[in-house]
Amino acid sequence: MSDAAAIHRLLDETVRRERGWLISSLVSRLGPAQVDLAQDVAQDAIVKALATWPYKGIPDNPRAWLRRVAGNAAIDRVRRSARELGLDESWDFTAPEEDVITPSLSDPELDLMVLCCDPELAPQDQLILALKTVSGFTAAETSALLFLMEDTLSQRLARAKRRLREQTGELARFPTRFALKQRLPLLLRIIYLMFAWGYLPRRGKDLVREDLCREAIRLSEGLMARAPETTPGHHALHALLLFQTARLPARFGPDGTLITLEEQDRSFWDDAMIEDGFAQLGAAQNSPDLTRYHFEAGIAAIHARAPSFTATDWASIAKLYELLDKHASSPAIKVNWAVSLIMLGDLDRAETLLSALAPAKALQSFTGYHLARHKLADARGDAKAAKATLAEARACMNSQSVADHIDQQWRLFGDPD
Amino acid sequence: MPKFVLMLPHAPDRYTKLGEAEFMDLMKDYIGWVEEMSAKGKFEGGEKLLDEGGKVVTNKSGAIEVHDGPFTEVAEILGGYMVINADDYDEAVEIARSHPHMKHNETIIIRQTDASADD
Repeated sequence: MSDAAAIHRLLDETVRRERGWLISSLVSRLGPAQVDLAQDVAQDAIVKALATWPYKGIPDNPRAWLRRVAGNAAIDRVRRSARELGLDESWDFTAPEEDVITPSLSDPELDLMVLCCDPELAPQDQLILALKTVSGFTAAETSALLFLMEDTLSQRLARAKRRLREQTGELARFPTRFALKQRLPLLLRIIYLMFAWGYLPRRGKDLVREDLCREAIRLSEGLMARAPETTPGHHALHALLLFQTARLPARFGPDGTLITLEEQDRSFWDDAMIEDGFAQLGAAQNSPDLTRYHFEAGIAAIHARAPSFTATDWASIAKLYELLDKHASSPAIKVNWAVSLIMLGDLDRAETLLSALAPAKALQSFTGYHLARHKLADARGDAKAAKATLAEARACMNSQSVADHIDQQWRLFGDPD
Repeated sequence: MPKFVLMLPHAPDRYTKLGEAEFMDLMKDYIGWVEEMSAKGKFEGGEKLLDEGGKVVTNKSGAIEVHDGPFTEVAEILGGYMVINADDYDEAVEIARSHPHMKHNETIIIRQTDASADD
């Protein structure tokens, strides 16, 4: 491996993953009250371990190496401060789980994730906690991912950790099996949120934070592999993640610009991943309760199967958006529903939907809303309105790539300046 | 091919005052360079030296004296060394020029190993 950027990526991802693993393992041993210590120890150990790589090169199996060396360094560090922290000095990092009365899922990361999904915490605080501990992102990375000031992030993180410390009941000691079932919807939502943040960044140069998308898939897979039982909703969510990720390779142009679904070269889609998505969707169908993930995965599945944008089953997509909107109504869903109606040629119904949304203040800064109005005006052949709506889309806060795309559209409708 | 030792000294407080993120970025530069040189067959190996302590053993007119480090009066301490393959000093200097140590520190000392006794 000689490409500098690839090495940086490999290091970033390996370090992040192992930091998450170390923190989770330490918390499972030390208890949720020691999340701070676990984070410090994990970071120290990784920095120390990494300092030798410049003289040796990257080990053949960097993950195993870091896990061993940083794990040992972490044991030393905790042993040294065991007395002052009032911890059991016979504390052993590598002792196997033996407690048969409260069978652990044997997965510290999953345990910690269950702890992070505390219903008392706001969803965004749960997400911050999960990214910072289970996934091993640094404070700087987490604040950049969520567009938060680092000060704000550390305040919210402190609040979340205080909450963990205050937990004294059964959950704090045995956070796994019985809590998992109860908290599964929250866990799924965290994974969904993590993926959505990665897939649709609203600012900055990166079109997609692939690492965040991959992390969401990893956590979903881990949860599926180790949870006592999987639910149809989880299979549906996993199908959704796979369908969306399968399209990622076609979503960038060579210069990093956004390529819309309409313009994507579908031969770049990952067929194997789409197949896996359909398998998950099959497993999801065996359910009396439909979750929002069912509808979203259904929509993604129709796109995945369509030979082209125009030859897409827009009638089914419009129907699914209608059901999704009934299930969990939101302006963004209505906007997408309207787009599918435009594609179907039902312009009047699309207009009714969009007009009803017009007074919503939050939508004025939502690019998708203005782009949908643009599409409608364009379909009606109203060039003046098409241009005006595009200008409004452009004025919204966008990630650089989305803005580039709108600029490109803009040029079709006349000069921007 | 002749081997050259690159000695990499740094100021005693060079790394202690860095934030973790900065330190990691620095490490990535070094690791990337080592990987690149390894791919080209130029990198032979190296050792990082521990920053703390060190000892000096001296013969004072027959009496052996041992002194502990750190040696606070020194301007630079040796952080480690690397061994590279190069045709001659010219190439070794070229390789050293591209070394991230020249970006993040000030000095690299190059010495050729004496291979005359090797088979």
